[in-house]
Amino acid sequence: METLLLARGISYGSAKAPRLDRVDLELAAGDRLALLGVNGAGKSTLMQVLAGVLAPRSGEVRIHEQRLDQAGPSLRRHIGFLPQPVPVYSELTVTENLEWAGRLHRLRGGKLESAIRRVLRDLELDPFAARLAGRLSTGMTQRLGLAQAVLHEPEILILDEPTAGLDPLQTEQIRQLLGGLSASRSLILATHLLDDVQRLCNRVLLLDSGRKTAEHAVTPEIDLLAHFRQPRHPAEARE
Amino acid sequence: MIANIALHEWRRQRAGMLFWLLLGFGQLIIAWLFFAQLQAFADLVPQLKASGSTLGAMDLVITPTLNSLVLLLLLGAPLLAMGSLAGETRSGRIALWLSAPVSGHQIVFGKSLGLWLGVLPLVISGTLTLATLGFGVDLDWPRFALALCGLLLFSLWLGCVALLISGLFDHPAAALAASYGVLLFLWLLDSFSSPAAPWHWFALLPHIKPWFQGLLRSQDIAFFFGTGLAALMATIFLIARRRGEV
Repeated sequence: METLLLARGISYGSAKAPRLDRVDLELAAGDRLALLGVNGAGKSTLMQVLAGVLAPRSGEVRIHEQRLDQAGPSLRRHIGFLPQPVPVYSELTVTENLEWAGRLHRLRGGKLESAIRRVLRDLELDPFAARLAGRLSTGMTQRLGLAQAVLHEPEILILDEPTAGLDPLQTEQIRQLLGGLSASRSLILATHLLDDVQRLCNRVLLLDSGRKTAEHAVTPEIDLLAHFRQPRHPAEARE
Repeated sequence: MIANIALHEWRRQRAGMLFWLLLGFGQLIIAWLFFAQLQAFADLVPQLKASGSTLGAMDLVITPTLNSLVLLLLLGAPLLAMGSLAGETRSGRIALWLSAPVSGHQIVFGKSLGLWLGVLPLVISGTLTLATLGFGVDLDWPRFALALCGLLLFSLWLGCVALLISGLFDHPAAALAASYGVLLFLWLLDSFSSPAAPWHWFALLPHIKPWFQGLLRSQDIAFFFGTGLAALMATIFLIARRRGEV
């Protein structure tokens, strides 16, 4: 299968205390990859490096075999990124936020209008289209962030904890939406929720203290919790 | 894309309270200073006539009020600029910009133009207030137009410099404090350095006052374009470094 995104030897932060340490990652077309780790494991930093927001200290990110830091900004059109916190302008309405996200991704005129109508419908944001983003609930703000990420129909969706801070009902709704959105796209999903991994992803990459500790397929039998029970550092193992 | 970014910045500013407060208070202060200068001028007219002085409304009303407008812009522009890059970083929205297929120079040129659009209403409303004096007094209109050109160039330059300082910080309050520090330094440089000193060229006032005196000098144009463009290039470099492109 065609490799869409390839990250090799990604390190970030100082050499003495790296936030990411030589992480490799490959995403093929149709892959749904989970980045799993405890808080501070380096998931969000890795997501930002993959989306081209942060520059790694060493290593490279390639999209369609082109280096992200050398190919020019147009390569970023393949990426839809939902960071944490959700990047919305609270003083603008939902529609104005979507218009702006679309313009940033070079959508114009009728194409932009139809894309906004599509995401408002798909993410069930229609009733909130005229509401100020600052007055949305956490769940609705996450939906708006997702809508911004998929507006330009990217091939690769990079989502940083899209269910963070949501109540169980909102979490379930977002999971259902993500299931639909990721059906036709490749997905990288950072999470610390095992349910998200089991239900949305076919591969999982485990991060611990900025290092990749394991990567394997997601199967119904897999015990992901076992990774968290293992000692994280040699010092812990000795205790 | 640059025009889109500029219009977005302007729309964002208009949607916030700060823009309207600045415009409202700025206009109020300009109107008050204008009437105070006008009153003083009216009291002085008999003495000026008696002494045969050539000083007129342009020197005694318009120019002092324009100097106050410059000070207001120096205080107001950093308030608008602090959210431009430092605010985007602080709120996490910078990720939306940096992950989009938009180049650093488009972001920087667009945002600086957006900042200019943000301060432009105060420049226009202030100069229109002063222009009303033309209904009662013979004004030197070419000199007035040159002063307006100087103000427009100065406000564009201010946006470029304030944007650079905003790009150096992750917190809007830090960007605001640094902007005031740098601009105050450039403002006062004229008072505490000799005109012969090489760094005196960076003093702000000697590059602004000639416009108000009806003098169009290439060195003033070179100062605003040179330092403004240098600030824009430095901001583009900051974004490229953040993205790992340099």
